[in-house]
Amino acid sequence: MKANFFANMKISRKLVAVFLITTVIAMGVNIFIYANLNTALDKINSVFSSNISLNTLQDNLNQIHTGLTGYLETKGTDDLELYYASTQNMNMLMRDLNNNVTDSSIHLAERDIRNMLETYLSTADEAIQAKRGRNIDEYTAKYNECSKIKDYLNTYIYSINNEQFKTNSSNYSTLINSLRYTEIMSMLIFLVASVMNILLIIILTNTITRPLTRLSAKAEEISQGSPENVEPLEVFSDDEVGKVTRAFNEMLASIKDYIARIRTQLITQSEMKEKNLLMETHLKDAQLKYLQSQINPHFLFNTLNAGAQLAMMEGADRTVEYIRNMADFFRYNVKKSSETVRLSEEIELVDSYMYILNVRFAGEILFEKDIDESLLDVHVPSMIIQPLVENSIKYGIKDLEPGEGKITLAVYREGNCCCIRVSDNGIGTDEEIIEKIMNHEKRPSETRGVGITNVMARLDLYYNNKEVFEMKSRKNEGTHVTIKIPLEDSNV
Amino acid sequence: MAKVSRSRVAVTILAGIVLVLFFVTVAGLFYYRDIIRKLGEVQEEYYEEYPRLYAYIAEDPQSELSNRIYKDILEYARENDCYVEMTGQNLSTSYSKADRINIAISSKVDGIILEGDDSEETAKLIDKATAEGIPVVTVISDCIDSSRKSFIDLNNYSLGAEYGAALAKIGEARRLYPLTALILLDRDDGNYDDIIHSAIQESCGRSVLLTSGVVDTSTPFTSEEDVVNILDGLDKAPDVIICLNDRTTESVYQCIVDKNLVGRTEILGYYDSETILKAIDKGSVYATFAIESKTVAKQCINALNEYNASGFVSEYFSSNYIRVDRNNLSEYRAEENKNEG
Repeated sequence: MKANFFANMKISRKLVAVFLITTVIAMGVNIFIYANLNTALDKINSVFSSNISLNTLQDNLNQIHTGLTGYLETKGTDDLELYYASTQNMNMLMRDLNNNVTDSSIHLAERDIRNMLETYLSTADEAIQAKRGRNIDEYTAKYNECSKIKDYLNTYIYSINNEQFKTNSSNYSTLINSLRYTEIMSMLIFLVASVMNILLIIILTNTITRPLTRLSAKAEEISQGSPENVEPLEVFSDDEVGKVTRAFNEMLASIKDYIARIRTQLITQSEMKEKNLLMETHLKDAQLKYLQSQINPHFLFNTLNAGAQLAMMEGADRTVEYIRNMADFFRYNVKKSSETVRLSEEIELVDSYMYILNVRFAGEILFEKDIDESLLDVHVPSMIIQPLVENSIKYGIKDLEPGEGKITLAVYREGNCCCIRVSDNGIGTDEEIIEKIMNHEKRPSETRGVGITNVMARLDLYYNNKEVFEMKSRKNEGTHVTIKIPLEDSNV
Repeated sequence: MAKVSRSRVAVTILAGIVLVLFFVTVAGLFYYRDIIRKLGEVQEEYYEEYPRLYAYIAEDPQSELSNRIYKDILEYARENDCYVEMTGQNLSTSYSKADRINIAISSKVDGIILEGDDSEETAKLIDKATAEGIPVVTVISDCIDSSRKSFIDLNNYSLGAEYGAALAKIGEARRLYPLTALILLDRDDGNYDDIIHSAIQESCGRSVLLTSGVVDTSTPFTSEEDVVNILDGLDKAPDVIICLNDRTTESVYQCIVDKNLVGRTEILGYYDSETILKAIDKGSVYATFAIESKTVAKQCINALNEYNASGFVSEYFSSNYIRVDRNNLSEYRAEENKNEG
């Protein structure tokens, strides 16, 4: 939770937090050590306080004695004031002195000093009283006693001062040594805290910079090509880097999508090209075959025209009709081989073809038409019906008795399609052959002329739909070939 | 992915180290505070409190005998819930006995154990202490004309008899007649030394030609000078020198060694300092008489405690000497070590 909180912070705040944390740690350690060091220094300062208080005691005693001496000499009020003030002060100072019997030589000396001071003060009071009573002998004796006690006291204070100085000096040196030890200790603590701070800074700055490093590494990966193989970055934080990473991931996804689309487009384009090439090839193939066959038709067309004129001059009308049909048939071949044509034209070609064949076979083939007139203007690829009719004659009714063969051409509307059906009443086609034809396994070369396979291939390429062509047959019941031209594609 | 997880492991390790360092820092700070707190403890000393304080005032605070007696007195006092300080010790000035008595009175002690003398000043000071309500008991030497409460005596007459017996033994061993013996008396001790002197004379009779010399032991340096002067003043070195003081014994021993008289002049010493015991071991000192200091200490403290408790105490206590010579030296030392232990 805390890590997430930190991760979601702004970078500027993160940096501030890093510096604040480390600074606070360093400051805390500093303050702690400083405070403790101060305590240590106070303790060192207090080491010699006992010497100082003893010196104060001695100074005060000397003042009392000066006051006493002055008063006894001159009875001066200033001296008396000094005496009383110092005595009062002394009583205060004496409270700090030990009053118990202990086995500590210093405590014992303090007790002796305290008691001797009491003796001194009471003797001094007696001397002052004697002075007031003008009893010279007595106050002289008391003064001498005071002087003696003062001398003892000075010696005691001096000695105890020395003794305490020795102890205090020893304590002082112990303290100083300890202080050196604490210095080393504090240095060690500082060192540890500094190392900790450095590591903390490394960790926290690493937390900030690591996503940036990962981002730059990804960007470099993309720049080296193949961005589709680059995985999106995981987003850990909600800071600026997190936002940039998210945007980066979106950009990466867009690039991948764009590349995929371009790839699909390229594939489609190349497929289209391939289709066009195949169509051209088929057309060329058909054209070649026609050109080969047109050498004669052209010649025949011109020759037939001449024959027709001759027949006309001779008054042979049927011959004229026959020759004209032939001429039309060949003209159509020459003219329309590479274009789409209207359905009516295709039907006319079939009419011509059938006329020629009937003349040729003396009206043996019955040809019926069932045409929906509204569909006559539908545009269809050229040369698609005649080959079917030719096929029906060749393979369907050829073995029938003369006059029994019947070819039916029907053009009708079925749904959104214009259906062209060529039927015969022939022997029918084997299922195997139909399957082969439908699967394009039967090569065009296996048929004569412009075969059914060529028609199918062209229709496939043109309409991009195999269902345009349909072939059905039953044994001895003829064959039905239907072409379904989609009306929206037929450019009516 | 592996890179990311490696980086995470590194960060985790670093975080672990940071955590450890944090605890080390905190522990260090607490330890540091503890050290600082303990700094002041060096000033503290442990002591025991006692309800009463007695002062021990020696003739010569530097004397080994006095220090030995003081040590035993202090030891016994502590066992009996009181404390004894040797007044004037550890001071920057060496005070006279009178001053030390004055100091003891001024510092209002609960009792004084004093190595007495015959002087009027001491008697006056004892009276002053008594007037202040401080009981005084004398030890080793008495102060008869004072108001001291009790006297813890060393049986000087029996000591004299012991010296006499030793002289007789030396005379017999050396077949010397009469045996010349020099007794070195303490200037301050007065009639106590005289008792010893007469006891020796009585026990030896005419078999010993006893002469005497007086040594000033009041200051630390005079006894040695006096001993040398006395010995130099003699025509012939005596067969035996009897010392009635520990410092005198050590001074005579050094002088005999210096004058190459070891073997010719025997020393009958006083007290059982380490120097004297070593000299006995070497044969330079014939015998010495050690004080039963523990008995003396016990009598002193008991006398003062009894007086403080009841207001009355027996005026006289007595204790004996122990003779130490080469024959019983090792036993004596073993016994002493046992007591020390």
